[in-house]
Order: sequence, then C-alpha cells, then structure tokens
Amino acid sequence: MNQTQSYLARAEALLEPWLAKTERPTDNRLDIWLSPDDLLPVVATLVAGEWGYLAAITGLDPGLATGQLHVLYHFAEGAAVVTLRVATPRDAAAVPTIRPLIPLAAMYEQELIEVLGVAVIGAPERGRLFLADDWPVGVYPLRKDFQPEQLDKESVP
Amino acid sequence: MTRDLINLLFFPAGLGLIAAGLLYQWVDRKLLARFQNRLGPRWFQPFADALKLLGKEEIHPAGSSAFLFAALPVLALAGALTAALYVPLFGLAPVFSFPGDLIVTLYLMSLLTLCIGLAGAQTRDRFSLAGALRVFTQMFAYEAPFILALLSPAVALMLAGQPSSWQIGELVLSAAGQPWFLLTLPITFVVALVGLMGKLELPPFDAPEAETEIVAGALTEYSGRGLALFSLARAVELVVGLTLVTALYLGGIGAGPLAAVLFTAKTIGLLLIVVVLQTLLARLRIDQTVNLWWRLGSVLVLAQWLLLLIFRVLR
Amino acid sequence: MNAPATERFVVPIGPQHPALKEPGHFEFTVEGETVVDATVRLGYAHRGIEKGAEGRNWTQTLYLIERICGICSHIHSTAYAVGVEQLAEVEVPARAQAIREIICELERVHSHLLWLGVAAHDAGFDTLFMYTWRDRETVMDILETMSGNRVHYSANVLGGVKFDLTDESAVAILKGVEFLEERTHHYRKVVSEDAFFLQRTRGVGTMTHAEALALGVVGPTARASGVARDVRLDAPYVAYADFPARIQLLTAGDLEARFLARLDELLDSFRLIRVLVAGLPAGELTAKRMPRKLKPGEVISRVEAPRGELFYYIRSTGGEQPDRVKVRTPTLCNMGSVITQTIGHNLADVPMILVGIDPCFSCNDRAVTVRRAGDDNGRAWAWADLRRYGIDYYRRIRN
Repeated sequence: MNQTQSYLARAEALLEPWLAKTERPTDNRLDIWLSPDDLLPVVATLVAGEWGYLAAITGLDPGLATGQLHVLYHFAEGAAVVTLRVATPRDAAAVPTIRPLIPLAAMYEQELIEVLGVAVIGAPERGRLFLADDWPVGVYPLRKDFQPEQLDKESVP
Repeated sequence: MTRDLINLLFFPAGLGLIAAGLLYQWVDRKLLARFQNRLGPRWFQPFADALKLLGKEEIHPAGSSAFLFAALPVLALAGALTAALYVPLFGLAPVFSFPGDLIVTLYLMSLLTLCIGLAGAQTRDRFSLAGALRVFTQMFAYEAPFILALLSPAVALMLAGQPSSWQIGELVLSAAGQPWFLLTLPITFVVALVGLMGKLELPPFDAPEAETEIVAGALTEYSGRGLALFSLARAVELVVGLTLVTALYLGGIGAGPLAAVLFTAKTIGLLLIVVVLQTLLARLRIDQTVNLWWRLGSVLVLAQWLLLLIFRVLR
Repeated sequence: MNAPATERFVVPIGPQHPALKEPGHFEFTVEGETVVDATVRLGYAHRGIEKGAEGRNWTQTLYLIERICGICSHIHSTAYAVGVEQLAEVEVPARAQAIREIICELERVHSHLLWLGVAAHDAGFDTLFMYTWRDRETVMDILETMSGNRVHYSANVLGGVKFDLTDESAVAILKGVEFLEERTHHYRKVVSEDAFFLQRTRGVGTMTHAEALALGVVGPTARASGVARDVRLDAPYVAYADFPARIQLLTAGDLEARFLARLDELLDSFRLIRVLVAGLPAGELTAKRMPRKLKPGEVISRVEAPRGELFYYIRSTGGEQPDRVKVRTPTLCNMGSVITQTIGHNLADVPMILVGIDPCFSCNDRAVTVRRAGDDNGRAWAWADLRRYGIDYYRRIRN
C-alpha cells in the first residue's frame, strides 16, 4: 500500500497550511478538521493540485448535545481517502458552496439542504430534488430530533 | 347492382378487406415475435384488440376540435378502403377502374398519413405535436421516391414501346405478359418496398411513434373508437400496399384457377421480407430518415430511370 | 424540423414514461427537435432507507440495505457488510470473500445484460432487447441455483456468506458462463458493426476525458471516456486483491464506447468467474463471532457496483444500531452528465444518452417515511404501526 501512503503524503504536502487538526482513523484515510471559511481554499487547492476526486459529501448529525452538524467532504484517490470535516452550529447551519470548483457537488449539496437542513451559501434557489413536493418546510429527516409527527404539520409547497 | 354492393361491403373490399388486414397484421406481429424469440399473439388477437377498442370509451381532449378529432379517423379509414377499390385485391380484378387510377390510389394511400399527422397537430399534447411533426417530415421524405418507384413499371413499359397506362387494371394485365419487374427494375422494387415500410411507420421508420421518446406520437391522445379506426386503417393500408407492390412488381394478376392463391401467397412473401427487415434494423432518427430518403432513395430511383433511358437509347 | 427559433416547447419525460423503467422527471426544452435546456427532478422512489437504518440494529440494516436496489442488491449489502466488519474488526474467511466476489461478478453480468436490453429498446432495436433478456435468464438461473433467489440473493451475512458454492452450482456457473461468453461476443459484434445501430450510438453524447473528469462520472461511463478508475483495482475489497479484475478502458467517450466498455467488462467478468471457481480457497463460510454491539467509530467503504463506484459512510456510536449510514450511489454522480450532454442533441438521442449512464432511480432515491396512499390524516407510520397494520391486514384477509 505504498502508493496509498504516497497519495496521502502528497495531500498533506498540498494542504500544509490547514493541517491544524488531523486524524488518521485507518491506514488509508486522512481526516482534516476545517472551519467553514477554510473549506473553499482547501477544495481549490485539491482541485488545482489534481488530487483525487470528490467521492461524496456526507451530512452528519452528531447528536443534540453537541449543538453542531457536521459536513464531511470525502475526496478519493486510489485507495486513499481525504475527508474534510466541517462543523457548523446546529441552529444556523451553513457551509459555502463548492460547486463553482466541482460542478458535481451540486447534487450532493442539494441533498444536504433538503435532508439535513444545512444551508449552502451561494447555491442557487431551486425546487426540491429528492423530497416530496408536499414535504413540510423546515423539517429535516436526517436530523436526530426528527419525529414522524412533524409531517402532520400543514405542508407548504 | 347487387354484385357491386357485395363487392363493396363484403368481398373483396369492405369487411373481407378489414378481416384480411387484421390477419396480415397478425402475420406481421406473429412473425416478428417469433424472430425476436417471443411467442407472439394468437391468430384472433388483432380482431380482439379492434373489437375491444371499438367498445371502449373515447376521451376527447380539451383544446382540440371535437369535429376533427372524431372525423379524422373516419376519413383515414375511408381513404384506405377507397384506395383498396382500385387495386387487384387477392389477385381479383379491381372493383373499380378508370384511366389514371394509379395516381389517385397513391394519393388516397397518403390520406391515412395526412390524417394521422393532422390528428396529432390539432391536439395540444406535446407528444402528439412532436409526433405530428415527425409524421409530416417523414412523409415528405419517403413520398416522392415511393410514388416514383410505383410509377416506374408504367414508365418502363412506355419506354419499351409496350402498351402502357396509368390505369392499374390495364397495367397489371400488360405486366403479366412481361418478365417480373422485380427482375428488370430491382432498384425501384426495393425503394417501393422500403417506402411502404415508411408509409406504414414500421421499424426502422417508426420514429413518428417512438414510444421511448414521444409515447405514441401523433396518436397519443386517441383512445377507444378513434384509435381502433386508425389501427384498422393501418391494417387495410398494409394489404393495399402489399397488393400494389405485388401486382406491379411480381408479375401482375396472372391467370388460371390458382391465380388468386398464388397472388395472395406472393403478398405474404413480401410481408415476410418486411418483417425480416423490421427484425434486423434499429430505429432511425427522423433526421437520419430524411437523409436516407433524399440522399439515397431518390437518387436510386433516378438512377433506375436513367438506366431505363440508356437501354432505350442503345436499342 | 423547421420550427422558428422562438418556438420552444418543453417535452416532459417522466415521472411515468415508457423510456423510464423507474420514476424520474426530466424536462427537456426543445427547439424543433433540438434540446436546448434540461432539468431533472428525482425522489419519486424515495423510501427513507438512510433514516430507516438508524432505527434498526446492525443485522437488520443489512437486509434493509440489500433492498436499495433490485438489480445490484448484492453490491449494496457487500459494501455495507465490508464496512461493518471493518468496524467490528472481524476477519472474514477467504472462502466467504471469494464467494462474495463470484456473486458480485455474476450480478455485474446480470446488470450489464439487462442494461444492454434496455438500451437496445430505447434505440428502437427490439430484437437485440429480446435476445439479451432471454440470455439474462441464464445468469438469473445460476444465481437461483446458488442462492434460491433470482433477485435478492441475500448472500451476505455480517462476517461471511450464507451459502457455499456447491459442485452443482459450480457446474451450472461454468456452463452458463460459456454460453453467455459466446453470446456476448456476438452482441459485441452487433453493437460495433450494425450500421443502423451505429448511427444511433457513434459520436452521440460524446464526453471527452477532461469533461468526464470535470463532471465526476464513475464506472463504465467514465471508463468509456478513458478515466482509469475502478475501485476493484484501486482499493481492492472482498477477494479482489487475490483475484484481480482487469480494467476495461476506451477513449472514444461516445455512446458506442459506453456499449463496448460494458460488453468488455462482461467478458472480463466471465474470465474472473472462471478463475474464482477454479481457485476457490478452502475454509469456513463465516467468521467465528460477530459482535452485536460495535465500538464507536466510522468507516468508509467503497466498492465497484455495475454502474460505478458505490460509496458508504457508516458511523457507530457504540450501540447496537448504526448512528448514520450514508449511501452515495453511482447514478447520482452520473446524472449530472445527462443534463449537460443532452443539450444540443436531438430529442431522439435523449433516451439513449439517459440510458447510457445506466440510471438506477431506486438506488438514487432513498431516505424518509412511509405514507399510505389515500390516508386521510396523512399520518406517517412508525415501523411498529406498519408492522401491526401488516399483521392485521393479513389476518383480515384470512378470515
């Protein structure tokens, strides 16, 4: 797995200024904690350095106690995965859009907006892509405090 | 008088013709299915389909003329049935005949296509509109080569100094005395046969009703009686078209007690070729259809005519 | 054809449309026959699976995950099982891993043959459609011989596989593969030589290497444009390190290349299945012990589904249930390319381009709730309610 390590080393070299808080959960992974403001420069560096591709964006609710929502940007190259972890306050969750850099991210970001209620700053207003048209506004199914009863609310199109 | 009525209403035109059309349609569907490794329908399926459709409620879509919506299918079927009167159905002499009826028949055959196109164009459904556009586009593509190809035997006879005529009845009689035009005019025969497939919107010329793009094309909004009449008109047109090509290119009516049987067998043989082509070919896009007819079809017909002229001059 | 440039109209495709085997909604704005704009709306098959996973234990989730897709059910459960086993630090026996790989490849064969038929139908070439689907029965019969099921093989359990490869099924596999290989060579010939079919595929929907990278497409769609990415080689899972696949790369990037890429993959799958059957390691079928509770942690599991890279993110907080299961299916990556590619093309090419990425809508749409149609108060049903309703319903029918 030498190649995987060299991929990760290259990623570390590229992202040198942002490596304040990192983790290596497994051999092939590098997790980097970022503030929302650092996200764009980091993604731009990865794209400009042609390091891997955006494999997915995971929206995560780590629980009510933390008062946060996490957004994970997974970049993959070979077996190596670099995850950019962005924490954002639960009651005003927002991350900047990365779709000018990676057009494909539009799909993932839309999912984030709809199912986890994370605002994506800079994303154009558009209708729903995933949830039903009569789904109530402001109800986000993947948050831990989601209750099915919330769907009884009068739905607003 | 009674004889005329029987001819008109029961046989060979009228009910007999419709029944024959549905049977031919069954042969088409069954052979296609067998070639495609499917079981295919039983022999009465087209009859059952037509009866069932006739009994179904017809839904008239908002935003289109109710009169045209109801009248177009009737007109289409009437056109196809009228065209049948001038062709030697089952190798029998045409029911009616007058000088120039070849031209009239060809135009009557186009009536069906026109009606389908108009039916699509006058509804507000987007699939119908797109379908109508394709129907007309395709018609302008194949119509000229097709008509020229069907006129070719008459022209060839004329150039050869033989008795010729624009009257189908006389033409097939003089054709019977000749070697088959299939052999002497092979190129226009192919054009005529493929043109017939275009006229009937069979694959590969089924872009006007490509269900994966525009659902049922121009007839998307039709249901019940209207759809049944259109499908009957298509069935009749299939018989008329096959009869015409057979009569002109495969040795005319013929004579003797078995002439009718032989003639019918020939039309079924042609149908077999049509089915094989349907099986083998993938659908053409509408622009590809237009290209094929104008770049290849019309050039082929003109080449055949040129060859005829050259032979004439050489002799 | 000659409609003036201002005469645009919108052709809706879906949610119910003959070209779509599953619900999705596209709106194509056309000028004459040329597409000038396209939009997409998904979610018609949204079933709440990601949320559902949070309310089930690790084992129950496996069976839920398997039902994400009816075509590639095994690859979903493999991705999940591999991830969970990594979290639980369980070593899966080599024989089980190899059997998983056999089924992965058989599933790929099944999926690609199905796709070939659908694509041929959309091209208006029904003969090819009928024949490929007839031949697909062969591989479905093989899977039935192995597992007892044609579609949801349910081969995986956490820590191994449920059934062994018997001599009987080994014979069936080799016989079936031989037949299918011969057929695939024939189809490859048809697809690359039939003039009428080529008119619909050659030079249509071309995506260059650079575009493919920029759009982020995955799987055969990407490999047809020369993007050398295949998780089976890049990050081998199950037994792919011992029984490696060979990457099938093409550079043309048009629909024809996408056909050929998938057909070449079929041929490679046949080779791989033979190698696997011949060299199947001996050993147990399941790990000794699979814990009910997993340590806290998270894992990323990537596998190569028939349609491209499938991405799983699984998070445990130390309980009996997953805290988060994120599924990113290949269709979502590829869907964006449909919208970009169709613009400027003929309306007739749209279904072909759409089918060219082998879209799978039920994979795409997952997460949220169960609603009964016509339910007056529109109440969402909890799992227990639904279970009770199901029991009552069948009791009523019986009585």
